Amino acid sequence: MTVFVTYFAILREQRGLNREQIETRASTYRDFYGELQERHGFTLKVDLIKAADRGEFVDLDSTISEGADIVFIPPVAGG
Amino acid sequence: MFRIQTEPISPMPMEHDGAGGFVTFEGKVRNRNDGQPVLRLEYEAYAPMAESEGEKILNEAKSVFGLLEVKACHRVGVLEIGETAVWIGVASPHRGDAFRACAFVIDEIKRRVPIWKKEHYVSGPSEWIGCHQSDLVDSSHELYRRQTVLPEVGADGQAKLSAAKVLVVGAGGLGSASLPYLAAAGIGTIGICDGDQVELSNLHRQVLYAYGDNGLPKASVAATRLRRQNPYISVVEINNHLTAENGEELVGEFDVILDGTDNFATKFLLNDLCVRLGRPLIQASLHQFEGQIMVVDPASNGGCLRCIWPEAPYDGCVGTCAEAGVLGILPGAFGVLQANEVIKVILGMEGVLHSELLTLDLRNYETNRIRRKKYQNCPNCGNGHATTDCLDLTAAEAFTNGYALLDIREPEEWEPIPILPGHRIPLSKPAELRQFVGENQPCVLVCQRGMRSAALVRELRGFGIEVYSLIGGISSL
Repeated sequence: MTVFVTYFAILREQRGLNREQIETRASTYRDFYGELQERHGFTLKVDLIKAADRGEFVDLDSTISEGADIVFIPPVAGG
Repeated sequence: MFRIQTEPISPMPMEHDGAGGFVTFEGKVRNRNDGQPVLRLEYEAYAPMAESEGEKILNEAKSVFGLLEVKACHRVGVLEIGETAVWIGVASPHRGDAFRACAFVIDEIKRRVPIWKKEHYVSGPSEWIGCHQSDLVDSSHELYRRQTVLPEVGADGQAKLSAAKVLVVGAGGLGSASLPYLAAAGIGTIGICDGDQVELSNLHRQVLYAYGDNGLPKASVAATRLRRQNPYISVVEINNHLTAENGEELVGEFDVILDGTDNFATKFLLNDLCVRLGRPLIQASLHQFEGQIMVVDPASNGGCLRCIWPEAPYDGCVGTCAEAGVLGILPGAFGVLQANEVIKVILGMEGVLHSELLTLDLRNYETNRIRRKKYQNCPNCGNGHATTDCLDLTAAEAFTNGYALLDIREPEEWEPIPILPGHRIPLSKPAELRQFVGENQPCVLVCQRGMRSAALVRELRGFGIEVYSLIGGISSL
């Protein structure tokens, strides 16, 4: 399945880009993040990440569907 | 000391071995006003109030500018040309503070102390004019004219803004940008809560402060700046950080809260307080070139910060402005957006971000709008859950309060060297644990990351035990 993924803040820094198109066999957002974490060495544990798909927050354990446009949002504190 | 006197003013003696700078100011009666020759001036004061307000100003100057000594007196009665009407003397370790304090004192006396004057011209005497009101006569209408012509504002909207009380927590980068616009818009009461002092590394983004403000308390400097910017509003300075102890009273005093803080602990504390007290919270968070803004409005269905992150992330997991860096313009942009949301909320306008999170990246102007809703397991907004009661403490709060620390990790998690001076009872011994927390109230539970301790705290609070959880656990220390 092909999905789009957008990164924010520290994830963008660690990935080195804003957005990409990826082939994945992960079924949930949690598994997908795990794949990316392994590939790119993301330091944030999955419990600290929020996922949104097509402009809506989603449960990490829900199923990814075709055409997903996923945003991974780490917590941000600065001010 | 501040004195009102009828006899002629002679400079008061000022001596202090610790002072490197003495600055005095004398205000005198001059021979012309408004193009007309003046013969003499007459001053009148409501002495008890003038002296108490004057005293207040001197105390403010002393604390804001770190003065060693400050004195002032104001003359009343008939004064001839060239006579001294007001005298101010300040002594400070450094000349810069002495100059600034002297200017501050005369400006504030003119603005706040109830003294009236009558000018005697060749053509006859003028009316009595309040010195403290002379600059203010009828100009408020003019001040807001360009916004009251907007149909969304109008006279009614302006009245709402002027009746509103807005608390800005954190007078850093976000506060620097939002505060001047809130003052300019005529928000009637603005509270500024910050316990920090200005540092040079703040100045690239905290544009409320000048180079010479280094070391001064932020809330006081910001308040002085806003009072001068708009004399029609009331500005309350709170030279303290927001904590679990002072938070409820503070937030309860205001209608709308703006989060200008830079750490998870305070952001979540503020979130919990606002949900509990039913106050709209305008929240923003920043990272390098990008940021997020949202409104937590307990009256909406959009939920709160804990609907997104039920547990407060521990500080340091993603880096603060100090570690990760931040472009100075970023808090400027987001602070202005926060002020915009404050005004929309007060005016009851559409389009408030109460059910959305807006992200904006200043590198490429990419924006995202992510819809939010209440999360059923949110400790604040979830079904059947009582709101959390400020369960979390930072290490600094725990230590300064002198609460007992209790490490609830299992023995196999203990480091070879004990890093906590507190006690250890693992979670696997619930009876012992219960007895300890019951006998040592209030105490702070500590686990590896603050998840287990928070869950246990929630349970124990159900039994009426006063107990807290260390945010982020051992990992945050």
